[in-house]
Amino acid sequence: MTPALLGHLGVSLALAFSLLGLALALLAYGQGDGRFLQGARRLVLPAFLAALAAFLALEWALLTHDFSLAYVARNHSLQDPLWVTLVTPWAALEGSILLWGLLQTLYTLLASRRGLDPWRASLVLAVLFGVQAFFFGVMATIASPFATLPNPPQDGVGPNPLLQNHWMMAVHPVLMYLGFVGLSVPFAYAIAAMATRRYQTWVEETRWWTLVAWGFLTAGKVAGMWWSYEVLGWGGYWAWDPVENASFVPWLLATAFLHTALVQKTRGAFKAWNFAFITLAFAATVLGTFLTRSGVIQSVHAFAEGPVGPAFLGFFLLATSLGLGLLSRVSREVRDVVFFHPFSREGALLLGAFFFAGWALVVVLGTFYPLLVEAFAGAKVSVGAPFFNQLSAPIGAGILLLMGVGPLLPWRRPRAEVFRNLYLLLGVLLLGTLGGLLWGYTVGASLAVGLFLYNVAAILLLVREGVLARVAAGLSPWGFLENQRRVGSLVVHFAVALMGLAIAFSQTYRLESEKTLYRGQSWEVAGLRLTFQGVRALDEGRRFAVEALVQTNRFGEVRPRLHFYPQMNAPLPAPKVVYTPGNDYYFLLMDFDREKGEWASLRLIVTPLVFWMWVAGGLMALGTLYILWPVSRREEARGVSPA
Amino acid sequence: MRAKYLLGLAVILGALGYLIFGGLGQNLVYFLTPSEYLQDQARYQNRPVRLGGLVKQGTVQYDKDRLELRFVLTDGVAEVPVLHKGTPPGMFKEGQGVVVEGRFQDGVFQGTNLLVKHSETYQAPKAGWTPEEVRKLIEEAK
Repeated sequence: MTPALLGHLGVSLALAFSLLGLALALLAYGQGDGRFLQGARRLVLPAFLAALAAFLALEWALLTHDFSLAYVARNHSLQDPLWVTLVTPWAALEGSILLWGLLQTLYTLLASRRGLDPWRASLVLAVLFGVQAFFFGVMATIASPFATLPNPPQDGVGPNPLLQNHWMMAVHPVLMYLGFVGLSVPFAYAIAAMATRRYQTWVEETRWWTLVAWGFLTAGKVAGMWWSYEVLGWGGYWAWDPVENASFVPWLLATAFLHTALVQKTRGAFKAWNFAFITLAFAATVLGTFLTRSGVIQSVHAFAEGPVGPAFLGFFLLATSLGLGLLSRVSREVRDVVFFHPFSREGALLLGAFFFAGWALVVVLGTFYPLLVEAFAGAKVSVGAPFFNQLSAPIGAGILLLMGVGPLLPWRRPRAEVFRNLYLLLGVLLLGTLGGLLWGYTVGASLAVGLFLYNVAAILLLVREGVLARVAAGLSPWGFLENQRRVGSLVVHFAVALMGLAIAFSQTYRLESEKTLYRGQSWEVAGLRLTFQGVRALDEGRRFAVEALVQTNRFGEVRPRLHFYPQMNAPLPAPKVVYTPGNDYYFLLMDFDREKGEWASLRLIVTPLVFWMWVAGGLMALGTLYILWPVSRREEARGVSPA
Repeated sequence: MRAKYLLGLAVILGALGYLIFGGLGQNLVYFLTPSEYLQDQARYQNRPVRLGGLVKQGTVQYDKDRLELRFVLTDGVAEVPVLHKGTPPGMFKEGQGVVVEGRFQDGVFQGTNLLVKHSETYQAPKAGWTPEEVRKLIEEAK
């Protein structure tokens, strides 16, 4: 047995089990026969085990330096440290698809445990098996992680050095895939709900999955921003790069779905919106992969070069037309008949979802527009970051505005006492903004201060409301904490407000300065005094590092580096970032005297509040976890409120 | 009922139209070669463009103390002088394909961002290449 053999076997078996499962599940639906469903259910675990075997085969090949595999030869080297080797399966396309397929089989396994009525259960399984079959089909045909080389090299080049420059890269892709794959479960339930015309309960049944997917997507995005900030050496965390956009769109649509799903659960409304949003959110995960992996970003003409692009585009079209086609067939039956006032909880949630979906439209348009121009007009253009920023700022402000007031509005129609709270909040918003302006901040930054304080005030009002209601009922005020959905969502909302503030300030106030210093020379910049004390070279085996020794008056010695990898012609910067609650100090070594080490060009980027972006990211993950935290059966039986 | 859908459609189309003609048109950054720029100079005055070409042999001047990089960008036919503030990227050298983002001011292209084009399949350009060949080389390199 060799890794290649085990891998091929695993991929082929996973594909075979998935196709067989798909066929049995469809038969079970068509015939209404429980025995076929039993058969399909029995294939879930073998498919997962086969996928796991294939994944372990790839790890095995990497750990034993089996360079006869093309994937290992291209992405691994004898010098790689153990952690880099272990994460190399998702360093390139074929391995990433394998990881995605493995996670899909895992989620199918978990989702199949739920007892549903046989018609819906068979369709849910059919959709999940279908998605699985697509991934393993791609691996079995056009993007095999186990393709072998006739003449294996003695050593490979290792993974892209950008990926091994920071440990965050071990985490970020896995989080993203856990999020992407998570959206397939609510999508499968939605398809089953539309086909079997049972429109109501699926959102509640998949609430857990939606939240899990959303939590992972959020954590993955923040991890990616962090990686971009600490590794790419340009001192920013977001560039509206097509790859970033591709994973932002599913997040936006999943967020829209999360909010309209709440209305269906509580009031039975917005069924059609929920079907549309989950279909688009799931389809967007596939479209993102098409966009980033097919090469269309470089040029539309690169599209035809690899077969992976067309395969993902086809799958995207299939998923979209399945979801939206079913929706158009049942649209008469899912029309909303429930009354609601625009100025109610439902109204705020729907408007908020429109903001998120509109934002997704803007991002998709800006990302695809260059492709359209190139295809039709032949000109090569790119859409600058100002386009995205100009449109994102008002959309973001609108979302922050709704986020504060929405949870305070009652369902159905506004009540008189609500307006007192609204005037209070409006006052906080105005005072905060005015205060910012008086302090000398720009209009945008002042508005961000106002919106942050407004959201904090709204959250305090909600906490007060919840606690007072419990006290009035003679219960312990701490019982409020047991309302997991409310408390968790307030934590997430606070984190979003904090992130809005951090984004506004870090985008508005950024100081960037560069200077060539000679040994012993000092540089006064941004309230710091930097003294350049020379450079030092270090041989680290797989790479060669040069670090500048810079004495600072506030942070001691900092050592920004340049890493020279043998497989790259250009050095990679390894910035030294010093986080403080107010400002981030980002030190970069740009260039140095290669003969005597007498001089070095240093760059310093000072950005406010970036530290709080990562705090906000952590809080969003914690808030989601709090909502999902399982309550033990005993406590559930006692009810929400212990006496 | 139909009126409602038509209204919704009109709103969406209106928003799309605004996005494309209002927002996108202003923020499109054209990718040009020096010849394309020289054919229609007025159009690209004072708006950001991405200029692609090769660093002409023997024209690179870098002052490390003032952090000023000057060179001539060529596509084999036309040439444009470039001034870039900052250190040259690691791969920057004469004859290399580069893309400079910036804008034209007083006959000099003021670069704000300098990208060196390189890929595994990169082949050095040969003398006597046409602008189309240079452009293709730059576009297809990652």
